[in-house]
Amino acid sequence: MEAVMNEHEEMKKTERTANGDVAGDILSRLESRVRVLEKLMSEPKMLWMRLLIFGIIAVIVYWGSSAITYNGITDRGSGIAVNVFKNLLNPDRELLFNLTRDGVPFLVLETIGIAVLGTVFGAILAIPISFLSATNIVPKGIAYLFRAIVLFIRTIPSLMWALIWIRVTGPGAFCGVTTQSICSIGMISKMYIMAIENLDTGILESLDACGCNTFEKIRVGIIPQLSASFISTAIYRFDINLKDATVLGIVGAGGIGSPLMQSISSFKYQRVAAFLWALVLLVVIIEWISTQIRARLAHGRS
Amino acid sequence: MIEFKNVSKVYPNGTRGLNQINLKIEQGEFLAIIGLSGAGKSTLIRTINRMIDITEGRLIVDDVDVMSLKGRQMRRYRRKVGMIFQSFNLVSRATVIRNVLTSNVPDMPFWKTFFGAYSTDQKIRALEALDKVNILDKAYHRCDELSGGQMQRVALARTLNQNPSIILADEPVASLDPIIADVVMSDFARINRDMNITILLNIHHVDLALKYATRVIGIRAGEIVYDGPTSEVTQEVLDMVYNGKAIPKTTDVENEELKEMVG
Amino acid sequence: MAAKKAKEKKMPLFDRIIKPQHITLPNGHSVDRPRSRTPLILLCLVAVVAVSIYATGFSISTIIKRADQLPVIFGQILTPNWSFIGARVMPPLLETIQMSIVGTVAGCLIALPLSILSSANINRNRPTLLFFRLILSIIRSIPTLVYASILALIFALGAFAGTVAIMFFTLGIAAKMLYESIETIDMGPYEAMQSFGANTLQSFWAACWPQILPVYLDTCLYCFELNVRASAILGYVGAGGVGVLISDRTGLRKYHDVGAIVVTLFVVVFVIDLINDYLREKLKKRQ
Repeated sequence: MEAVMNEHEEMKKTERTANGDVAGDILSRLESRVRVLEKLMSEPKMLWMRLLIFGIIAVIVYWGSSAITYNGITDRGSGIAVNVFKNLLNPDRELLFNLTRDGVPFLVLETIGIAVLGTVFGAILAIPISFLSATNIVPKGIAYLFRAIVLFIRTIPSLMWALIWIRVTGPGAFCGVTTQSICSIGMISKMYIMAIENLDTGILESLDACGCNTFEKIRVGIIPQLSASFISTAIYRFDINLKDATVLGIVGAGGIGSPLMQSISSFKYQRVAAFLWALVLLVVIIEWISTQIRARLAHGRS
Repeated sequence: MIEFKNVSKVYPNGTRGLNQINLKIEQGEFLAIIGLSGAGKSTLIRTINRMIDITEGRLIVDDVDVMSLKGRQMRRYRRKVGMIFQSFNLVSRATVIRNVLTSNVPDMPFWKTFFGAYSTDQKIRALEALDKVNILDKAYHRCDELSGGQMQRVALARTLNQNPSIILADEPVASLDPIIADVVMSDFARINRDMNITILLNIHHVDLALKYATRVIGIRAGEIVYDGPTSEVTQEVLDMVYNGKAIPKTTDVENEELKEMVG
Repeated sequence: MAAKKAKEKKMPLFDRIIKPQHITLPNGHSVDRPRSRTPLILLCLVAVVAVSIYATGFSISTIIKRADQLPVIFGQILTPNWSFIGARVMPPLLETIQMSIVGTVAGCLIALPLSILSSANINRNRPTLLFFRLILSIIRSIPTLVYASILALIFALGAFAGTVAIMFFTLGIAAKMLYESIETIDMGPYEAMQSFGANTLQSFWAACWPQILPVYLDTCLYCFELNVRASAILGYVGAGGVGVLISDRTGLRKYHDVGAIVVTLFVVVFVIDLINDYLREKLKKRQ
């Protein structure tokens, strides 16, 4: 085929020669060549910039790794690792199917309970806070004041909140609920504020034109816009709360976390396995369900 | 030369995309394929570079039985066949020249692709390709800064950079406005004339097809119902191809697209 | 008749039990209005909340009765012992940041191939896709603290165990965020690469990677932010960093010192947020 191509090139050249257009042809080719080379010269030089960025990243990572020294595995370490994996397939069945308050089923229920209540209360508390922090609803001063409060709440780690609440509620799942309610406010209101500030106010105008009063405007114009994203946020937070609920266990705030941590530190691997199985199943299932629901909320039914 | 011998395509769900196609295309022809949406225009074009595999018959391109090619051989064959898409299919975050340079990737060792290390020679050829479609000045712009017509010309430059002997264009001007569509079509015509590249394009706009192509193929329900020079396309021919329905013109495109979306 | 049956089968269970309202318009056309699901959902929610209150022993009256206890520790945290910051907080805080950096980098590096293998638009093989996603789900579902406490037993107590725990945590989230965004990239350029004879790897690198890179860097930065926050807790199980100090001081009931740590942590997280926001802006512009 190349032969054919060359042949055609030749033919064209001869045609042009016949037309006496050789000079023009060469000239235009030269012009093109010059344009191309000029452009090539103007190529932005990215190489040094890239090397610099790579260098900076390398230095940062090197600095980071200087603090982390590998001291080898502890004397019992390899034994522990082997035991954890061995017993994963051999969980404590008695514990798994024990229906008392110490059994896995109740602990799972308790963990879900903490997450549900934490999310519900957090979501409800976040509604007034986020409306008061939205710059398109209240004056900027008030909005920033409330945002600062939210930022402050977020900053205190959840374990601190658990310690603060434990004096009120005593140790146990109750403490987990109050802690999660407070901790959920931060993220939930951040998402709510975003939804509120993205409100399409054009609808309110058209409702005004229809002669709606304020209440009707909120019911018909604002709630339908917000409800899907509010619910979606709450469900997403429920996912997170479920995982955090297990962490709170270590300071005695109930759920499946505290017996799990106790079993780890007392080397009861069969119990560890039972708790881990329950935890993994619980989280994977809830995550799957919440993803499905949120996808439906985002794209509608079908 | 491209030759279809009794080619049929049956999709896994039983739909007949193409039915007993016989067609001969000489090197350097400019072919427009017209027909209703779903008539098999896209299928016909995509069988040539094996983006779609045919299920019956033989497809021979430059004395090679295309269906017999496998793996590496097929990829080498595809190097000769350029393809242009309706949606341009450019990496919009990358610069124009990077997009043009991607057509060198199949010939390069992977580590060079990995670091994006293109040689000066490759860059010069890419810039020359851009110059051929008059968009050299945008070479270091990002693709998402360009208009639709400019993006399609970048796609054309990318194809030219692979030095093909055949260019397949699947609705190349369908997402462009009428004036730009005309400019892009004239680019195709110029490349066809100057470089002797065979061009096959699917097109909705009959007026543009008649203005630029040298030969027209009419497809209806997977079968060729018209095959002849542009000059012989009459109203009766168009009526036959389009089943008596209204013939799309450039100005009707929006309606046509609307119909497609609804239907 | 058959068609009608098929249609009924397609109807959601809810609509089959509670029949949609049939509205006939004055012009003779008719439309089915499915009954609202809101009452049912609300009912379920109330039931779930009731069960939860039973399971957790939640009571409003206790909160009101004992509300006076709330400010006890809170007040102490709010009046930090400033001198503690310079003396004791800085070294472990730096260690926390170092752990986060290494953990984030390691986690994100491993997350990249895993997320590519978990993207439905790139990995067309359904069984392997589900397999990788399941692995990621499991990695994600185990809390960081559990990783840390098991690892702290296996390796010596200290920063190494914490870093590995952070790595697992990062791996879980980063891979998920990544494959979700990889699934939204434009596959057109990939198709184009295939059309001119590139193999799968070449097509991926030239057509998909430039689209993934900015998202990837963004995800890394986000994970780093999360990790600095999270690694404050790791110390509780002896996995190094500022958390050790927090659990120490809490154990000794020195809440003024804890307040000082919290304030420092807040400032550090805030500064990291600022740097990350700046880098992200740059990324948006450049890429």
